Amino acid sequence: MNLLMLAMVLMGLAALAGVYRLAVGPTLTDRIIGLDMLFACAIGFCLLAAWTIERTVYLDVAIGLALTSIVVTLSWARLIELQSQEKQS
Amino acid sequence: MIAVWLTLALAVIVMLIAALGLLRLPDSLARQHAVTKAVTLALSIMILSLIGFVILQDLGGAWILRLVVLLIILLAFIPLASHALAKSGYQEMIKDEKGKTDATEINDVKR
Repeated sequence: MNLLMLAMVLMGLAALAGVYRLAVGPTLTDRIIGLDMLFACAIGFCLLAAWTIERTVYLDVAIGLALTSIVVTLSWARLIELQSQEKQS
Repeated sequence: MIAVWLTLALAVIVMLIAALGLLRLPDSLARQHAVTKAVTLALSIMILSLIGFVILQDLGGAWILRLVVLLIILLAFIPLASHALAKSGYQEMIKDEKGKTDATEINDVKR
């Protein structure tokens, strides 16, 4: 059980890197990359939580988070791309 | 059981390497390259480790079903999001540099 707690703390450090890139990223794409990292860390946290309490409920949460992360990343990336092309022409 | 814990440690180490690349790399394309691939690898290794734990503890088929579905979703759709991020990063990078000849190349290919 202590090893799971240690893994959660280290994943929290990785999520802090995502928060830093989301806050101070120089371009908009960097912020979306930080958001992607935060979603991935959330999926990892869901896996570790399901492992800790030994129930399958958090695995459903992890599947929902994965689908949401795909939709969010695709729509933001498309929006930034269209905006850049508009400014360019 | 030791193999399960070692695999979990490997997953966490790969995730920390992804975080390091997110912090230290100089460019938005390079950061995207570091993060998406390393995160896919880390989550896949973590799911495999949890599958090993479930098999060792004999927790049942509902775990295996959900974990395999999650693995398929991650492996199918994270490269898609990574490609979209790379395209948007490239467009944003060439936005300020007008007059470069290779700047319009990706637009010609796409249309």
